[in-house]
Amino acid sequence: MKKECIAMLLAGGQGSRLYVLTGEMAKPAVPFGGKYRIIDFPLSNCTNSGIDTVGVLTQYRPLELNSYIGSGQPWDLDGSDGGVHILPPYQGSKGGTWYKGTANAIYQNIGFIDLYDPEYVVILSGDHIYKMDYSDMVARHKAANAACTISVMEVPWAEASRFGIMAVNEEDMITEFAEKPKEPKSNLASMGIYVFSWQALRKYLTEDEADSNSENDFGKNVIPAMLNNGERMAAYRFAGYWKDVGTLESLWDANMDMLSPESGLDLSDESWPIYARSVNAPPTFLGSGSRVTHSAFNRGSDIEGTVENSVLSPNVVVGAGARVSYSVLLPGTVVAPGAVVEYAILGEECRIGRDCHVGGAPESAEGGKWGLTVLAPRCQVADGRQVAPGTMLDRNGEEVSK
Amino acid sequence: MNGLHGIIFSYEKRNDLRELSEIRSSASIPFGGRYRMVDFALSNLVNAGMTDVGVVLHGRYQSMVDHLGTGKVWDLSRKRGGLRILPPFNYQKDWGTMPFRGKLEALAGVRTYLDTIRQDYVALMEGDLVANLPLADIYERHIKSGADITVVCGNDSFATADGTYFEKNAEGRVTEVLYNLTTPRGYRGLEVYIVSTKLLKELVDECHAKDQFSWRRDVLRAKKDTLNLRTYIWEGFAAQVRSVQEYYDRSMQLLDPAIRAELFTAQRPIRAKGADKSSTYVGPNGRCVNSLVAEGCRIEGTVENSVLFPGVVVEAGAVVRNSVLFKEDVVSANSQLAYVIADKDVIVQPGRSLMGHGTYPLVIAKGSIV
Repeated sequence: MKKECIAMLLAGGQGSRLYVLTGEMAKPAVPFGGKYRIIDFPLSNCTNSGIDTVGVLTQYRPLELNSYIGSGQPWDLDGSDGGVHILPPYQGSKGGTWYKGTANAIYQNIGFIDLYDPEYVVILSGDHIYKMDYSDMVARHKAANAACTISVMEVPWAEASRFGIMAVNEEDMITEFAEKPKEPKSNLASMGIYVFSWQALRKYLTEDEADSNSENDFGKNVIPAMLNNGERMAAYRFAGYWKDVGTLESLWDANMDMLSPESGLDLSDESWPIYARSVNAPPTFLGSGSRVTHSAFNRGSDIEGTVENSVLSPNVVVGAGARVSYSVLLPGTVVAPGAVVEYAILGEECRIGRDCHVGGAPESAEGGKWGLTVLAPRCQVADGRQVAPGTMLDRNGEEVSK
Repeated sequence: MNGLHGIIFSYEKRNDLRELSEIRSSASIPFGGRYRMVDFALSNLVNAGMTDVGVVLHGRYQSMVDHLGTGKVWDLSRKRGGLRILPPFNYQKDWGTMPFRGKLEALAGVRTYLDTIRQDYVALMEGDLVANLPLADIYERHIKSGADITVVCGNDSFATADGTYFEKNAEGRVTEVLYNLTTPRGYRGLEVYIVSTKLLKELVDECHAKDQFSWRRDVLRAKKDTLNLRTYIWEGFAAQVRSVQEYYDRSMQLLDPAIRAELFTAQRPIRAKGADKSSTYVGPNGRCVNSLVAEGCRIEGTVENSVLFPGVVVEAGAVVRNSVLFKEDVVSANSQLAYVIADKDVIVQPGRSLMGHGTYPLVIAKGSIV
């Protein structure tokens, strides 16, 4: 069945910069905002943009991600024609390999894309929090008669050298691309979201695969090759909220942004809903002695203590006299009575014992050693234990370094 | 295949539910912050392993049909069996008369459906029961006891509107069936029965032939000496929500952790439709205590001793006490509510004040602007 446009979602990331937090799961399956997983954002954007066929490329510990996506029904991606497809690396009669890079992952699934014979393919990443209408970007791609369109956003000049930077002409066509340049020529950063005309991309992927020196990466190889060949490359300017949540700090930041719609991340806007596979649990109970301020929570939690400036996932327990500040608690976390959790990200089903003190405010750190405190899923912190700011604990409660 | 088939009866309007049942049958009244009444009956049946469930509808069933959908939420959207929606039709074979007068008449009206039941036993329930019954155990007990009909009762004589009460002997056999009691006595019937499919069909046919329609009068009471009717006494929480007062009192009981633990036990989860809403947010000056709060709410004011359904907004300076607020209600700045049950989509304008009392909760009809 021919489709005008399909999406390919790169969800194979191991999430190594999220360290212990990812545990057994791939990064796109990491919970976010008290209800979502990171992958809900690109999947919901697809549905809201009218894209009904999505290939999800998985590789690293895909079990949790696969079971989360399931039939795709929560995102309306379970249609009889199209829908969401999980695409792991596979073996052919001549053997097979892991996905060597982002471009190779798409290359290995040329057969899948050809099934739909699309005009355009949208390439998405599984670790961004944002709301974007891809149909708008495809319209820009068509209008510019481009082979490739890259979404870009203006970043502060001081930070430009951390991104892939595009130089553009007066028609916003890309003239130059530099990965993390020391002296950036513009402040338009690539967001890692691409629209390609499929036949052009198919050709470049095949050439890229034949080049044994290539790292088979879109940013490093395919995009530069297309530019060098003089293909029409358009920039698509995006001005809304966008955050790469590939690091612990940015993941924490994005959660905090969710608490303040002024940040641009308004998840209650029903014109562009972000769908999720929701947890079945009763409503949350806030006890008589609880004090919850500037915080978000979802279903199934039981709060008797104090929660401020924090994001609580479903089925969290905060005991009487406990205090949770500036923290992100993933599903099933228990904070026993009297414990304090500050500036921390607690993995799924962590248990913080009575009167523990986990993490601390930046002001409290000695000698500039402050950082977020992060606990691996199912980590048990014994009663009374002090866990210093910036510490990471693995699932056995032992300290690990970054 | 599990040996039990479920049938849920959803009646139209019980007068004492006032505005709450104006637009819906009692089984589709929202309850407990994110459920509809019938979610409890459906979950009870599904948690006992049932794969086939019929829902007998009466009047005002549009909201019920909307809610049930394909039955997917309860895993009842299946290739074989699954959810069967049985809308009412004219049971009297005359134009212009009311829908069925009782369970037996309703079942006689769907007699061909009864013939399609694949299971040997049927669990009958009503859509307005809020409980988490171990139906698998009750079924096992039914088989072991050799009962013709197992009658599930609560361990109290709590007065519920139009309740049925049972007296039993030491062996648990029903000795008396009572209703229309001024002062209830005996065990409160939860209107949950287990009976073999074969006997059920015989009873339906026999009563239909005699123009009898009342299950409790024409079967339970009339045949209590010839049939082996045995009680199963349920010690836990069981609410039959048949009046505004009962709705209110039962809602407030959910603020008790022990009752919640029992009703929402992880062993037998109560399943409900999701609402695609984000998390609930409590603002810097918000205060929300001793309350049950669903997702998607925004609380900038004060909320005490209340139940909030998804998407409720309580603006700064507003005070909500001892109230139940349905989906998408907006309580504007500096207004006050106490002892209020506000149906869906109610807007309370800034500065307004509405007070009921614990013994007379105020009901605000769906979509009202105060």
